[in-house]
Amino acid sequence: MLVKEMMCKPVTVIPIGATIGEADQILQSRGFRHLPVVDQGRLVGILTDRDIRFATISLCPAPRSGADSVTLAMSSPPLTADPLDPVEDAARIMREHKIGCLPVLDGGELVGILTGMDLLDALMTLTGVTKPSSRLEVTLMDRPGELAHLTAFFASRQINILSLLTYPMPNEAVRTVLRVDSNHVRPLAEELRAAGFTVLWPPPKPWRH
Amino acid sequence: MATLIHRPEYAGYDFGPEHPFTPGRLTMLLDLIRSLGHPVAPVPPPAATREEILSIHDEAFVAMVEALDRGETRPEAERFGLGTGDNPIFPGMDLAARWLVGGTLHGARLLMEGTETRLLQLGGGLHHAQRDRAAGFCLYNDLAVAIRAFVDHGWRVAYLDIDLHHGDGVQSLFYDNDRVLTISLHETGHYLYPGTGHIQELGTGSARGLSVNVPLEPFTEAESYLEAFEAVVPRVLEEFSPHVLVVQAGADAHFADPLGDLSLTTQTFATLYRRILELAEAHTKGRVLLTLGGGYEAQVVARVWTILYLTVMDLPIPEELPAEWLERWREQLGPEVGRTLHDPVPAFDELPGRQERARRNQDVVARLVDSLLRYWL
Repeated sequence: MLVKEMMCKPVTVIPIGATIGEADQILQSRGFRHLPVVDQGRLVGILTDRDIRFATISLCPAPRSGADSVTLAMSSPPLTADPLDPVEDAARIMREHKIGCLPVLDGGELVGILTGMDLLDALMTLTGVTKPSSRLEVTLMDRPGELAHLTAFFASRQINILSLLTYPMPNEAVRTVLRVDSNHVRPLAEELRAAGFTVLWPPPKPWRH
Repeated sequence: MATLIHRPEYAGYDFGPEHPFTPGRLTMLLDLIRSLGHPVAPVPPPAATREEILSIHDEAFVAMVEALDRGETRPEAERFGLGTGDNPIFPGMDLAARWLVGGTLHGARLLMEGTETRLLQLGGGLHHAQRDRAAGFCLYNDLAVAIRAFVDHGWRVAYLDIDLHHGDGVQSLFYDNDRVLTISLHETGHYLYPGTGHIQELGTGSARGLSVNVPLEPFTEAESYLEAFEAVVPRVLEEFSPHVLVVQAGADAHFADPLGDLSLTTQTFATLYRRILELAEAHTKGRVLLTLGGGYEAQVVARVWTILYLTVMDLPIPEELPAEWLERWREQLGPEVGRTLHDPVPAFDELPGRQERARRNQDVVARLVDSLLRYWL
């Protein structure tokens, strides 16, 4: 999953000559939180609704007014992403710097913006229900062939795997979350157990063996 | 007293001996009712026509079903949910499904004509089928075709789904229709099929607030289930004030069902059925159309739906199962069947974590009601 698949475009921007009041107007009326600042089409900074609040409240030692230039409140230079970056790389930058968005540049041209909300969309796309399906969680050993063994189990039963997600656990194990096109999730879990797999969900029925 | 709808052709809806949605369940059910001394004389409905199926389903989907039914090979079948493990292709499937739809639709017609108020369709309840897709053992959505007919008649329709699984097909088909209220109580979709039925699925546009989902924790038992039912269903019906109640009465929320983990007993179902009839009296002048649905443990579904039959027919529920019936079906019933129609009390050892589950269910219901109130005020 690449940044260009999840980013928003086209991007609403504000020219460097604009005032804080004008920027605030755009953010409020459009329901945005992040506004790239451009100088003749070139990205020079990012202005957020939070930047504006901090720059203008009376608690600030030298509060700005709505008539001041956006350059007095923006962050510059901004951190950016490339459209071909994997979305997880962009997420890492945002997390490490604790920022809410990354403008996306392609050869110096501003082509999109990736926000925390887009990352939530990415998470939902990766984990969500797009078709009627059942969910299984299986623990696999962290070694070659384990996943193939698991997917062969479903292939032999003509069951389509709609999504598959793995993440590491302690003790050399890999947690595997599958969504499968089958209404038989509980019998499938029992068959998986009988075949030697460790199934976390669904759990065994307390009154059956 | 209810009018029964059924015909022998329903047995043609058969995905094969390995499939859990087997028509043998119905044969055992009818035999049990008869063995208890009740002559079952159902109204035989006509099959639904192609046009009636098209009131809900896409032409491309119906044409695909027909082509596969004729034995044609279509590589794109799977895109329509056909030829999958859940919905295998079988010869005659188009007509077999139309018989079931015809039954539910016929029930709707009898209600609209005003000749009957309480109808039990001994079949159908194919709530997963979507506009352009078969899903979860369901080919054509009989419930949706009946609901569509009610809506065209000018009625507001309340749909109540007590199947183990979320009634996703019916919900999505009427998600933006403000003449249809859908309520589904089901085991949470955290891992169970079809994965939907969250409290946040509330309907859209003018129908916002008319899609109501009560997802319950695995191993939820009678007390917590009925508490959630009472906290939501009467209130929503009162708010919506429907002309008719359509009920998908799946029996797979029973504790012994092999596909799921809700832990109701036959006694819970008996209580539910009585409450449903009371709610119909209170909100729809008694007008109610009940169908069957999921339920995959032979010895359970025959008993649960016999209790449904006896309840809607205002007949007493006897203690014992008839010996002749037990003898005739011994092989299919297995060793777990007892000698009584109801489950033994207690039906199973106490499950750890009961209070925690009840609390989580209460929290979910509270969040649901909070969201619904916004649309009712």
